[in-house]
Amino acid sequence: MMELSSVGYAYAKGGGVDSVTTRFREGELVSLTGPNGSGKSTLMKLMARALDPQRGEVRLLDRPLAAWDRREFARETGYLPQEPEWLLPMRAIDVVLSGRAPFLERFRWESKEDYALAEQALADCDASHLADRLLEEMSGGERKRVFLARVLAGQPRLILLDEPLAALDLEHMQRFVEMLRTIVDVKGSTVVFISHDMNWSSACADRMLVMNGGRLVLEGPPREVMRPEVMLEHFNFRGEALQSDSGRSWIVPSR
Amino acid sequence: MKQTGAARALRNGILILGPLLVIAVLVATQFGAARLSIAAVLAGDPIAETIFYSIRLPRVLLAALVGAILAVTGLTFQTLLRNPLADPFILGVSGGAACGAAVATALGLARIPGVIPAVAFGGACVAMAAVLLLARRGLTIDPSRLLLAGLVLNAFFSALILLALSLTGGSDLSAALRWMMGTFFSASWSDVVMLAVVLTLSLIALAAYGGELRLMAFGEDDARSRGVNTNAVVLIVFLVSSLATGAAVSVSGIIGFVGLLVPHAIRMIWKHDYRVLLPLAALGGGTLLVLADALSRSIMAPGELPIGALTALLGVPFFLVLLRRLAR
Repeated sequence: MMELSSVGYAYAKGGGVDSVTTRFREGELVSLTGPNGSGKSTLMKLMARALDPQRGEVRLLDRPLAAWDRREFARETGYLPQEPEWLLPMRAIDVVLSGRAPFLERFRWESKEDYALAEQALADCDASHLADRLLEEMSGGERKRVFLARVLAGQPRLILLDEPLAALDLEHMQRFVEMLRTIVDVKGSTVVFISHDMNWSSACADRMLVMNGGRLVLEGPPREVMRPEVMLEHFNFRGEALQSDSGRSWIVPSR
Repeated sequence: MKQTGAARALRNGILILGPLLVIAVLVATQFGAARLSIAAVLAGDPIAETIFYSIRLPRVLLAALVGAILAVTGLTFQTLLRNPLADPFILGVSGGAACGAAVATALGLARIPGVIPAVAFGGACVAMAAVLLLARRGLTIDPSRLLLAGLVLNAFFSALILLALSLTGGSDLSAALRWMMGTFFSASWSDVVMLAVVLTLSLIALAAYGGELRLMAFGEDDARSRGVNTNAVVLIVFLVSSLATGAAVSVSGIIGFVGLLVPHAIRMIWKHDYRVLLPLAALGGGTLLVLADALSRSIMAPGELPIGALTALLGVPFFLVLLRRLAR
């Protein structure tokens, strides 16, 4: 689906990512983890074309991003920024409808199909009741669900989510993780999400990526990442791993 | 086919604000130094006809066009700079345009058609570039620096206007006042036609980028990932807005705060994106300035209050409320 080869981006003030090489396959749910400032969000911006790499190359479906028409690229991908922002007072349904924008011709309004997709996306995120509410009247978690619905409304094949779980309550974390699994398993989409929650990540992801200091330092199935040595080396976290009967790993703080 | 949300909101807005503008225009033609009745105009009274068609109507229509342009450009500047306080006057863009136009007038270039609007456009662009240079901090625009830059530029342009006029025209301060406080006193049909063309073209250009502007309201990163070439959109919208501001200022002088009051009122009432807000801001701005101009002609008739003084009286309290809310 997407390949990164020696991708680099350095901010003037320091930080960024350095020669990251990896690939994301179709129908794969990948968790991107790492300590604060390790370059996760920057890497995702490079994948979402919010930033252009200074070195190396990102390819979607074997075509370099620079060779993609911007709108065509936007139709294939969906991106949830870490801190969604908005300038205008807007209702949830209109926010979600704007996820259909890459499909909209100039001077045209959304069709009924666009509306139907937006309403479905809101329902998928358990946010139908928010449709006519204004963003500024919502809680952080409700807003998050609306912006997630906005990503889903575009029916992207590659979904990039920067901390989708942050601000969600337990019920909606669970629903959301189940929904991501469904999208990946049923529709065959690829989902990459950033999270600091190692346990939710390992519970749902097929693969986990660990970044540290701008570099991709480890990638593999959850059981290879969810180890005390990894936690100590890359997260400076003293923890121990627990195994459940179902074979899942959990990391808990050492006493 | 049943219209969907935004299209319906736009239709409803036009059905409300359109008639309001028409009524405001008709009412405003009644105000002025001489008494004038519509009945006399329709009856074919030559004096009434002359006053109505050669003086009142062009003046009122010019006020409507200038108001529409200032409201629309206020909205686009607020969007591009991501700052609710942006307005062509506060940013110094109107000042730049007026300065260009005043200097060109003082040099005697006013007779060549098209020169004054072109120079005003140049002045507006220079001011915009200066504001951006002064207010940028890294990649973001600092709101307090933006206001400071506008303040300083306005003082500078006022000084230049006074200098140009006193070097060429002797001690005629009323000309300077006309540029700095705005007036529709010398409205002509050719001004009306020129501004109507500018407004129509600007609205078409901005409507074409309405979808992009809508995505840019979600932040630049988001907009780029949604397929928007943000650099191109910013450049085009800035140029179109500066051109429209320059054209408006070249016929009316500086009229502040319309670009602040109207977009905020429209956003509060119609909670939709730019495809809805831009045309409605045009109608609202036109209505506001037509009524303000009528008021400025009637408060101390047969004298006139500068229109810019009136809009400042309305706009400054509103600006302070916004500033306080921004500070919190």
